[in-house]
Amino acid sequence: MGAAEIIFIIIALFTMIGALMTVLSGSLIYAMMGLISTLFGVAGLYIYLNAPFLAMMQILIYVGAVSILIAFAIMLAGPFTMKPKEWTTVTKFIGSIVVSVVSFVLVFRAIMQTPWVQGKIKNFNVTTKDLGRIFLDRLAFPFEIISLLIVIAIIGAIMLALFSRRQG
Amino acid sequence: MTDVLKIAVEAIGQDTLRVILGLIGVLILVVINALMLTWAERKVAGHMQRRIAAKEVGPFGLIQPIADSLKLLGKELITPMKVDRVLYFLAPVICFIPVLVSFVVIPFGEGLQVRDINVGILVILAFSSLSVLSIFIAGWGSNNKYSLIGAARSVAQNIAYEVPLLLSLLIVVIMVGSLSLKDIVEAQKGMWFILYQPIAFLIYFIAGVAETNRTPFDLPEAESELVAGFHTEYSGMRFAIFFLAEYTNIMIISAVATTFFLGGYLGPYLPGIVWFLIKTYFLVFVILWFRWTFPRVRFDQLLNFSWKILIPVSFINLIVTGGILKL
Repeated sequence: MGAAEIIFIIIALFTMIGALMTVLSGSLIYAMMGLISTLFGVAGLYIYLNAPFLAMMQILIYVGAVSILIAFAIMLAGPFTMKPKEWTTVTKFIGSIVVSVVSFVLVFRAIMQTPWVQGKIKNFNVTTKDLGRIFLDRLAFPFEIISLLIVIAIIGAIMLALFSRRQG
Repeated sequence: MTDVLKIAVEAIGQDTLRVILGLIGVLILVVINALMLTWAERKVAGHMQRRIAAKEVGPFGLIQPIADSLKLLGKELITPMKVDRVLYFLAPVICFIPVLVSFVVIPFGEGLQVRDINVGILVILAFSSLSVLSIFIAGWGSNNKYSLIGAARSVAQNIAYEVPLLLSLLIVVIMVGSLSLKDIVEAQKGMWFILYQPIAFLIYFIAGVAETNRTPFDLPEAESELVAGFHTEYSGMRFAIFFLAEYTNIMIISAVATTFFLGGYLGPYLPGIVWFLIKTYFLVFVILWFRWTFPRVRFDQLLNFSWKILIPVSFINLIVTGGILKL
């Protein structure tokens, strides 16, 4: 086992421990910390795969913006320190197990059926320019669809805020 | 000395050695910068209020920061009983990570850069968001209402001011066509970008002052209302680390402004590093100057200013610049 594998295993463990902490922790704030370490782990995997731009965007958007918004929401919602077993019912437990097993099987099958390129790829050097060109060229349609989704989400949030203000 | 270097280069390779030496240099710079800035802040404050400020320890009081840091080192670390221990200990550690990482990509001189990464500015921006996280954790973990209010303010403030900060830097990135800080400096050989983009520079600087929680945007630690905000419960070295990070953040904001708008290390006659430090510390002085000339803004003014003025203006600036470049 070379140094590369050891680094991969450390990053993967870090990611998975963070994910487990997110799901199992009773305190929202620790769940958030777990989520952040998972996101950092994924960014580490991007760097490991020689994609520094993606890694930095991952940290900038998910750690810098999304997690901070989650923190903001936690502050508005107030402290929440119940242990999971205090609010977990049998139906919820069974439901969560069914969902996780089904999604695991689906993702696992998709991974196994994808024909992965074996061996080393030489000169794998995608620049920010290439990424930008692809977004406005080959992938323009999905890119625009995503921006539409964001617009819908923003309008929805504004409507929610307006209605709750009128009622209050 | 050269023999030692040669052996080291053979043992671990030139790149690794460069990074290790660079990180040691960065650590020294961080500590000296913070020490000097505590002294400078007192001196600037003193002279602006027609006082003398520190003068007893050493010439012009220059040894005062060392005496202060010895005092902080010697202090007992008090952990309040009802804090969330994990978060309470983690916060100062997290606030120190972005401080170290950011300096790795800043070009101090023509060859004086620890590592020229092709996504350089993203490294600084990505990791500087961790400092908000540390303030949030510190405020939450302290289990103190003043700390929590300070943390909540800090989070709201950072969400608001990160957008104009990113947009104003994006304008320069579009003009240069590169995210590497070295390329951005080299592109300013003819003319500094502050002359092309004065509005972007102003917006960046205002947002930068807000991001570092300095007056007039120091609501997260507003002494007169929140005791000390998020670091109320911290003492001794843990408190010192928060301050070390704050002063280093001031320097990082100024260094990035220098790199993006003031031509970085470029300048006639003097060596690059001297020019870089002159420009950076001039901006640092301006930030210190703000503290003693502006009153603290109200919270609604702070948020309205960002969402209603800075963000629309920087968007218009971005669109106009893009249009002109395409013509």
